[in-house]
Amino acid sequence: MKKRILALVATAFALAAFVRAADVTLDVKEHVLSNGMKILMIPKPGVPRVVCHIYFKVGSINERPGITGSAHVHEHLMFKGTEVMGVTDYAKDAEIDRKIDALMDRIYREKYWKTGGDAAQIAAWQKEVDELAKAEKAFIIKDDLWTQYMKNGGTGLNASTSQETTGYYVTLPSNKIELQMLMESDRLMNARFREFYSEKDVIMEERRLSENQPGYFFNEQVNSAFYTASPYHWDVIGWMDDLKKMTKRDLIAFHNTYYVPNNAVAIYVGDFDPAAVTAMAEKYFGRIPKGPDLEPIRTGEPAQYSEKRFYGEGPAPTSLQMMFHTPRDGDPDTAALSILAGTLGSGGGGFRGGMGGGGGTGRLYKTLVRDKQLAVSASASSRAQWYVGAFQFSATPRVDKGVKPEDLEKEIWAEIEKVKKEGLTEEEIQKAKNKGEAMFVRSLGSTSGLASRVGRADLMRGWRSILTDLDDLKKVTNDDIKRVAAKYFVKDNSLTAIYTRKSGR
Amino acid sequence: MKKTIIAILALTVLCAGLGLAQAKHPSELKYQALKYDPPDPKAFRTVYAPGLRGYVQEDKSLPLFNITAIINCGDLYIPKDKTGLGRVLGDQLIKGGTAAKEGSVIEDRIDFLGGTLNFMVGERTSTLSLSVLAKDLDEGLATFFDVLRNPAFREEPLKLAKARFVEQLRQANDQPNGVLSREYEKLLYGDNAVTWQPTKATYESITAADLKAFHAKYFSPKNMILAVSGDFAKAGLKAKIEKLAAGWKGGAVAFPTLPKAFPSPEPGVYFIQKAINQGYISLGHLGLEDTNPDYFAVQVMNFILGGGSFTSRITTKVRSDEGLSYNQGSRFTYRWGLPGTFSGYVQTKSSTVGYAISLILAEFDRIRKEPVSDSEMETAINYYLESFADNFQSSQTTMMNFANLEMTGKPTDYYKTYLSKIRAVTKARVQEVANKYIQPGKIDMMIVGDWEPCNKGGDKWPGPLDKLGKVHKVALIDPMTGQEIK
Repeated sequence: MKKRILALVATAFALAAFVRAADVTLDVKEHVLSNGMKILMIPKPGVPRVVCHIYFKVGSINERPGITGSAHVHEHLMFKGTEVMGVTDYAKDAEIDRKIDALMDRIYREKYWKTGGDAAQIAAWQKEVDELAKAEKAFIIKDDLWTQYMKNGGTGLNASTSQETTGYYVTLPSNKIELQMLMESDRLMNARFREFYSEKDVIMEERRLSENQPGYFFNEQVNSAFYTASPYHWDVIGWMDDLKKMTKRDLIAFHNTYYVPNNAVAIYVGDFDPAAVTAMAEKYFGRIPKGPDLEPIRTGEPAQYSEKRFYGEGPAPTSLQMMFHTPRDGDPDTAALSILAGTLGSGGGGFRGGMGGGGGTGRLYKTLVRDKQLAVSASASSRAQWYVGAFQFSATPRVDKGVKPEDLEKEIWAEIEKVKKEGLTEEEIQKAKNKGEAMFVRSLGSTSGLASRVGRADLMRGWRSILTDLDDLKKVTNDDIKRVAAKYFVKDNSLTAIYTRKSGR
Repeated sequence: MKKTIIAILALTVLCAGLGLAQAKHPSELKYQALKYDPPDPKAFRTVYAPGLRGYVQEDKSLPLFNITAIINCGDLYIPKDKTGLGRVLGDQLIKGGTAAKEGSVIEDRIDFLGGTLNFMVGERTSTLSLSVLAKDLDEGLATFFDVLRNPAFREEPLKLAKARFVEQLRQANDQPNGVLSREYEKLLYGDNAVTWQPTKATYESITAADLKAFHAKYFSPKNMILAVSGDFAKAGLKAKIEKLAAGWKGGAVAFPTLPKAFPSPEPGVYFIQKAINQGYISLGHLGLEDTNPDYFAVQVMNFILGGGSFTSRITTKVRSDEGLSYNQGSRFTYRWGLPGTFSGYVQTKSSTVGYAISLILAEFDRIRKEPVSDSEMETAINYYLESFADNFQSSQTTMMNFANLEMTGKPTDYYKTYLSKIRAVTKARVQEVANKYIQPGKIDMMIVGDWEPCNKGGDKWPGPLDKLGKVHKVALIDPMTGQEIK
């Protein structure tokens, strides 16, 4: 009861924040539970559906060598039931699961800790595991959470892991938000990671799917060469070795550290009454104990001091990538870098982006694709991540005309030098500002897109950063453009990757 | 301060009102009734002066203006020796400029306004879409109609587009998934417009005159339907559209005959060699059209078989039980005026290719032989009923849905009767359509993968693959020439 009162007092400080940008309002209602979990609400009366997302401030950057890929593995295992979901008799199931874990521990030690482990012994243990797994099936209700959502009209049902965040998504009829609150709070408190070992097999298949995309291995190496020290060094999917050797204990420790209410934001967008949602959140999420405070990532990316060059061959199109280290999200230089990427690279991203005919307005497209006809595509992008940033140029040469990636590299450097000297035109800068504003207005019209943007933004710099970023964009001058180009586009801060089509992987 | 107290009181009352009984399991939850009637297309339908039809909704929630023209034309109307014209048109309708403006001028201006203007060519419908801030409605709308009515197909941008598309051909065999879907359709549909692929020669043969003739034939006001939403008044918009469409003529369009006869490929395994570490697999045969009265029962049946994600049998068996794959299931695809396809699909490591296929075939068999369970039916039916309102999430989506209904000749009451048609599906109907539309004797299994390890199999299903049926090796084509790679 005492808890209830405390929760109500917390509600008194709930903010109904109205912030204006352009002629429209982003109205996000906030409520913070006493355990630190934040509830964000964007009511949109009309169609009786509600987008329900939960974001956790955890991703692959929270891993370390040995457990790379665990944020993503953990996301998969969150669908494997709790003490009440996905199981008919929890006590009996848990007993079998414990036996499986003990046997798998022996198998892993024999297989991975020793050189030349006893294969016959491993096979015998594996046989025992298979029999136990078969017996356990009697107590497992397959994909129970998923079924509950779907039979209640859940759509957009999914989860995803990025380098920085993990999200769990469902869109439900307006009268069924409580279902989401119940099941999400339950798995946050009581996730039980059954079927851990077969799910790791699924994830290794997921990794193989990526590996079979032409150029994947090269790009994975390029990324890890670009980030030497920071945990952006490995892909979200993780290294195959770690996926094989990761244990359930690793995952439980990961869960207990990061899946705490003070590390989470729930966001609701759609047709609902905020007071009712707040009360429900108190009831379900409010019951979870607060966890310890979490320390930010320690390791940044050290300065490079020398140019990196990377060469590869394989079955993907011949291409050029030029990458530069840039500052983290929220840095004063971020807005100018974003305008530069848009102005140089807009619409030049090859056929997928340009096929519709709407692209082709970027400088690189106009110069390299249209006028000089040296490239099939040429684009630029700026990625301001939470801890480190990257600016990237990408281009594919006109092989039919004998153009080499190195020729495009020279051309792009010439464009860069021009920007360092002259900056952009007033019209180009104004265009970037107009686009930023229009995209903001358009984003307000979506439901799941808005939930994703606001929810994720809130985890690091607060959702209002969406609006202050827009303000920062409007303040950028040509001097800023020239300054950031001179500061970041230098060889000692770059990695150039040249890939040539050949047979092989 | 007073406001705060009221807020606390309100919340207290609300908490008491909800009872705040904390459920432990979803079965304990009780939901308030929710009734949702879909909007009626008739309330939004309009016809502008030159016979130009539209579905129009005022929506002042944001200062935006969205318009899409859905045009009855696409790749299936293009002769074989001009294959690729659809892709070139998709690129050049805007980039080729209009009588008054160069394409890059149009693109730069729309970009400056923070707008988007895109043209996409599909199989039988193509769409030109504009989105701008409401303050730019007049300028955006004028550009939209200029592009729609007066494309110039200038020589220089056309030449560049053709060269780029030829270069793009080099990538045609890169992605295992792309190879699989292209060759699988070729196997099921045979040699006709559904499966024709562009080559260097067909791209190079395309001229501005071809594009102009195609445009003149199909871009007539009576052959398209508009979907419009945003911050405007309907009456004012009507005046603007009729002014921009004034003098636009075009009578009835004569469409080419669609392919009607399809081959009956020999059932069995069709293998395409690629040095990758998984097999990419599709197995099935031709399906039905979505205007077939069996459509709703087929949807429910496929949801249970392999379309309902984690609640479906194939996902449970192949992924969840066996850990064989990340992506698997079954699907019915649909084409306007042609039968679609029915397929099971999976991507799995080479050694488990045969095993995964055998599990999917077993599920095909089971759904034909045994009635589905009550709980499977409940989940499938409720999914369609409860998620129905998703079709109307935004004004523009709703208008597009209505325009597409009319374009493809579906009844106006399609959405009104949708729920009752789903409710009418029974277990007996599910089994009936499973037997009718899954035909084990006709199944073609196409695999893109590495032959040796796929054929060898693994412990649970040792090879060879011809245990599944006669193996046919399929050669890849050289995308430049369209000829088989020897």
